[in-house]
Amino acid sequence: MPRPEKNTITFTIDGRDVEATEGAMLVDAARGGDVEIPVFCYEPKLGAPVGACRMCLVEIEGIPKLQTACSTPVRDGMIVRTTTDRVKQAQEAVVEFLLINHPLDCPVCDKGGECPLQDISFGWGGGKSRFIEPKRHFVKPLGLSPLIAIDRERCILCYRCVRFSQEIAEDHQLVLLERGAATYVATFDGHPYVAPFSGNIIELCPVGALTSRAYRFRARPWDIEGAGTVCNLCPAQCNVTMTVRDDRVLRVLSRDHDGVDDGWLCDKGRFAYQATHSDERITTPLVRDGDQLRPASWERAIAVAKGLARHSGSVAAIVGGETTNEEALMLGRVMRDGLGSQDIDSRVGGSLPLGLLRTLARPDLQATVPDLEFAHTVLLLDSDPVDDAPILDLRIRKGARRNGVKVLVGSSRPTALDPRASQAVRHAPGSGASLALAIDSFLADDRAGAEAHAKAAGADPEAVADLAFALRDGGEDVVIVWSERLTDGPAGAAAAGALVSIAERLGLTGREGAGLLELPRGTNGRGLREVGALPNAAPGLAEPARIGRDSQAIAEAAASGEVTALWLLHSDPAREGIDGAAWTKALASAGLVVAHASTLSPELAAHASVVFPAQAGAEREGTITHPDGRIQRLRKAIGGPTNTLPASEVIAAVAEAAGFDHGIPRGAGATAELGHAVGFYGGITTDEIGGTGVRWQEREAAASLPAGEIPADLTAPRPALSPNGSLRLGAYRSIWASPEVSISPALKFLARTPTIELSPADAERIGIAQGGKVKIAADGLTVAGTAAIRSDVPEGSVFVEDGLAGSGPRPAEGELVEVSGP
Amino acid sequence: MTKLLFDRIDEPGLSGIDVYSKRGGYETLRKALQMPRDGIVEELKASGLRGRGGAGFPLGTKASFIPGGDMDKFLVCNADESEPGTFKDRELMQKNPHLLVEGMAIAAYTVGANRSFIYIRGEYELQAQMLEAAIAEAYSAGHLGEDIHGSGFSLELVLHRGAGAYICGEETGLLDSLEGKRGNPRLKPPFPANQGLFQGPTLINNVETLATIPVILAMGGSEYGKLGVENSAGTKLVSVSGNVQRPGNYEIELGISSREIIYGLAGGPEPGREVKLWFPGGSSSPVLTADDLDLPYDFDTLAAAGSMLGSGAIIVVDDTNSVVDVGLKLASFYKHESCGKCTPCREGTNWTVKMLQRVQSGEATPMDLDIIASVQEQIIGNCLCVLGDAMAMPVGSLVAKFRPEFESHIETAREANGLGVTPPAPAEEPALSL
Amino acid sequence: MSEVTRFTHGSRVPGWDDAVDPDKAPSPVPDPATTPVPDELRAEIEAEMAKYPQFRSALIPALHAAQRLHGWCSPEAIEQVACVMRITPGEAAAVATFYDMFETKPVGSQTIYVCTNISCSLRGGDRILARMKAAADGDEDFNIRGFECLGACDMAPMASVNGEYVGPLDDGDCDLIIEQVRAGGEILPAKNLRNRECADPAGRAVGGTPTDGGES
Repeated sequence: MPRPEKNTITFTIDGRDVEATEGAMLVDAARGGDVEIPVFCYEPKLGAPVGACRMCLVEIEGIPKLQTACSTPVRDGMIVRTTTDRVKQAQEAVVEFLLINHPLDCPVCDKGGECPLQDISFGWGGGKSRFIEPKRHFVKPLGLSPLIAIDRERCILCYRCVRFSQEIAEDHQLVLLERGAATYVATFDGHPYVAPFSGNIIELCPVGALTSRAYRFRARPWDIEGAGTVCNLCPAQCNVTMTVRDDRVLRVLSRDHDGVDDGWLCDKGRFAYQATHSDERITTPLVRDGDQLRPASWERAIAVAKGLARHSGSVAAIVGGETTNEEALMLGRVMRDGLGSQDIDSRVGGSLPLGLLRTLARPDLQATVPDLEFAHTVLLLDSDPVDDAPILDLRIRKGARRNGVKVLVGSSRPTALDPRASQAVRHAPGSGASLALAIDSFLADDRAGAEAHAKAAGADPEAVADLAFALRDGGEDVVIVWSERLTDGPAGAAAAGALVSIAERLGLTGREGAGLLELPRGTNGRGLREVGALPNAAPGLAEPARIGRDSQAIAEAAASGEVTALWLLHSDPAREGIDGAAWTKALASAGLVVAHASTLSPELAAHASVVFPAQAGAEREGTITHPDGRIQRLRKAIGGPTNTLPASEVIAAVAEAAGFDHGIPRGAGATAELGHAVGFYGGITTDEIGGTGVRWQEREAAASLPAGEIPADLTAPRPALSPNGSLRLGAYRSIWASPEVSISPALKFLARTPTIELSPADAERIGIAQGGKVKIAADGLTVAGTAAIRSDVPEGSVFVEDGLAGSGPRPAEGELVEVSGP
Repeated sequence: MTKLLFDRIDEPGLSGIDVYSKRGGYETLRKALQMPRDGIVEELKASGLRGRGGAGFPLGTKASFIPGGDMDKFLVCNADESEPGTFKDRELMQKNPHLLVEGMAIAAYTVGANRSFIYIRGEYELQAQMLEAAIAEAYSAGHLGEDIHGSGFSLELVLHRGAGAYICGEETGLLDSLEGKRGNPRLKPPFPANQGLFQGPTLINNVETLATIPVILAMGGSEYGKLGVENSAGTKLVSVSGNVQRPGNYEIELGISSREIIYGLAGGPEPGREVKLWFPGGSSSPVLTADDLDLPYDFDTLAAAGSMLGSGAIIVVDDTNSVVDVGLKLASFYKHESCGKCTPCREGTNWTVKMLQRVQSGEATPMDLDIIASVQEQIIGNCLCVLGDAMAMPVGSLVAKFRPEFESHIETAREANGLGVTPPAPAEEPALSL
Repeated sequence: MSEVTRFTHGSRVPGWDDAVDPDKAPSPVPDPATTPVPDELRAEIEAEMAKYPQFRSALIPALHAAQRLHGWCSPEAIEQVACVMRITPGEAAAVATFYDMFETKPVGSQTIYVCTNISCSLRGGDRILARMKAAADGDEDFNIRGFECLGACDMAPMASVNGEYVGPLDDGDCDLIIEQVRAGGEILPAKNLRNRECADPAGRAVGGTPTDGGES
């Protein structure tokens, strides 16, 4: 839908004529005239103003009563005064009122020095108090959650935190209880406020009432420096400012970027910085000595890794999502030109034909993050953004709440956005491709074909038809959000083809504000493909000299001895969940396993020959590419442990030791090299990327993206199996399933334990109770976990969680499994 | 004196539709449904009726603010009668519920609302039962529901019971409460006429106001307008309570002398006592003294005297009572009922209570009275809704008009509490102290 | 000066001094699969939800219904309301704690509100509250509360006994009320609002004579 257009008007504030956007709130408009109007409760990100704190009262000519500047839209010719005696009296009154019960504990308050209440009391308060009654005193601080402490003495009831919970995160867990002066911020019956985005309330609090338990008493504002960078823990790539003291990251704050994160962070992004300084992190090279990995010198570790040269021709590399574009480019070059192998992949679920990859990368098919907020309709296909790219969940909610964006869902597992969706269609786990084909066929008016596909997807054909027609009739601007897992496996190409076809049928090609948005598995999933970490593409999605093995084939080849050495750059494929059994075997069979990692999974501990300590996000320099094509810079916030090196240095050292010159310069030169190697990144420089990134589609070089094509006769998806008493296995990866969460002291409590979700009907039939032990078994693989009975899980499906350390390989998605109780 | 709303209100069976209809009930609705909507608005304007809930906004003007056009519009009856001293709507709803239902049907037709709600305070159980029964009867008789009397106009009426919160008498607090939320008042603008219940245009009026509509249409707007005095047309239900011999509801023609109400109708204080002060329009109106007893009881006169007619609830305090007790009672009530949303009200009521408690126990000094007065000034006009003002105005007026008594009370209490130094320790756990 | 009470007292507002229990799970919208709701309660709440253009409006009626069933708005009652209405228990609790008539602690089943606001207190409301409490003599079946203006200042001092308004009360009435509640009979019929005539003489049906409204 069209973005709002605003006219410019002129109004007068404190005797000065100031231009402002029509309809802007006075508080914002006043800044244009260099007038600061103090506020506590006003925060435009939280939606409509509430006018509760009364701090922003101003005089407007023609209106007898003072007005709240936070809720008064500026109009042409308005005459506003903010410095009259009346206004001053009101401001002093409000400050006095707020301070009567606010404790004088600034010297021991975490907020001290960066506290709006301090600043406003100093700037606008009367400087005296006539309140001689004893102040209120309560026990403090209290835990509001393991992450957040609440100090109710300090709370000024500005409503920001509860508005966040209700209007932004929509988790509705944090509320106000009681009334009047007795009102307080709390949760229901002492339940902790644990939700994916809870940490944002710390940043929103204008006083020291909500503080980060991880940051409390770690630093004062004058001890710290802010370092702007990008969170590299998931594809959402939120912009952050890291609070650094003595070369340690102590806190992560949002660095508001409308095109990326809209100013919010998830709790993983906010607190997992602790993994940087965790004792469990690998900070020195490890080399295998018998059945153990032992710390070793860099020389020794490089010497072991140099052995890759002896495996020339049978080396394969898997590139993990947190790898930067520069690192992946270098690894690709070393692999192809130095080690004579095209067996390099960054997609664990299997490859797509190059023509399709190019098509999916087409700028005219690409939707952006802000499009989610202004689209007429957003369709989620086999994706739950809260797990795949959490911050986008908030963006879709914002669109639905403020702009009436219609949300449609087609997924196997219930999504967090289901309650917001006008329609949610469930398909069988692993059958997303069939659902996409069914939608496409319905849009093509091929009803018979569509119904067959819907049945193959294990979905109700009528529901799919409704979904398809809702999509067709849902306005011109449609954004389809889909996850990489939709294109897993042999039918992945068919799914991708269907997506492109749907987009074309809906007329999304070339349409501003509409298109496709893929959520890759890895943080830099998109960038890695574009710089050539693929078996069937050279950098820039160019034609490769030859086609290599994809990840699945690599696993099989390693297990069978055709591939003898594995180079795992920030990748731990045995833990991904896909082909877990094959990868466990592959790692055991490979003669040489070179890994770059921050933590040791059981598989790496058992099989790696050498492990190089990986840099944490805060230590990295380089670029990554956002799912919507925005090239962003990771900036070094801290030096990191003395014994770590950038992965590019390590790759270069290994190559050099093996006698190969890759010709890639260091530092900013590496980014420039990217501009040479990837046609459509042409001429990109770190300066151009700057602090906010640049979407390559919006640059001239975008035209050099090679033309794509959709291959004919794509492999059809296998029809969903009928449960017949067993259950179809589905898998998902929670936002919390990551090594950073399990080794961050603050987040440890969120680290997942194996959970098995099933429907009430199936649970009853099998005799499983909520919280009881459950086992699933198929193909000789067994997964055990705790039962979570959810009424929104469709009958016939059972879901297990991926990405957990040590839960062992699971059967493939869509397979039938036997489920048993204790 | 003309009696319109209270005319034979104790007639047995009036709460049932048979007696009500026999008295000509619902005839006005039939008549109204034949009238053009603007025509009714004109009648209402001509009547000069000002809202009976407290703010006194002209009904006709308010109705004309509801936008035309095809959208979901709502009518809400504010039956959250919780202003201390006010109990007129209670009597009306209990004894003549059909008058309200008829008034609402006409009002809804006038503004084009197809859904209407009566928000009745939760404590009024008997009245809710009477209304529930009346609504059911009205549905059966076709005065509510689909296509009322073949006019093509449909109306649903739902009785919604509150749960005990003074602030829900504030119209936007009521709307939030009716939406199932905490009853926090909303920022205005937008006004309910544009964005009210469920964000739709909403006409919201008090019980007495809506119940007067059939009366006005029956007798004609201009005829009704002849009653009362300029700017205060018609009759008004007045609740008289406190230190009078015959407390109760009286229907008066606006503009009669206040003494006539307090002494003539309600009998005045017990023999031997004098009126010390009185609230002319509920406990939130600035107090008047015995000197003001001859003021005509109408909107403009009371406003000119620095107070207001408010909900028409007269509370009489005689000379046996202490102004300190009255002030503290008032302030404690408003502190209890403050919703807590905006700073001046939440903190100001709380602070005022603490200061008045010190005044009462003799721990205060005359300087504290200055601070009390100044805090009231800081509240007035700075709040989100009028609840803060509702405490600050009467408390401020008490301190201004009875300062010598406050001062002498401090002295006496100090001495009574022992040499003017140490007040006694609280006998038991004191009341909630925030 | 009196003892400074701040440190000894802490807070006497329920909840202010409470931390969350980190062992509890977060509290999202209750899953029907694991939150049993009595059928009658579910039916009653669903009927209320159907009355409004937006179901959320039924929250106060739903809480009334749950309180009737459970005796108070217990965590269990709130979870049941939340489960039927598909909202979080937090939202329901926020509303329940805002309104005076919802009990957020277990209370006796016989509810007596004694008005202690200005008009009643001018006529002895505070004394009546004390007398009423004394009359119940700690019987836990009684929930006797001082209440803000109940809108019956004409019968001051007054009380609402299980919803029945009675007044004007004198000290002896308090014992009588407690007895009558225990016996389950009608409460002070002569002083019951149901039987009270309008103070305005015009209210008499036909040819009535003005009587003393305060004593009728």
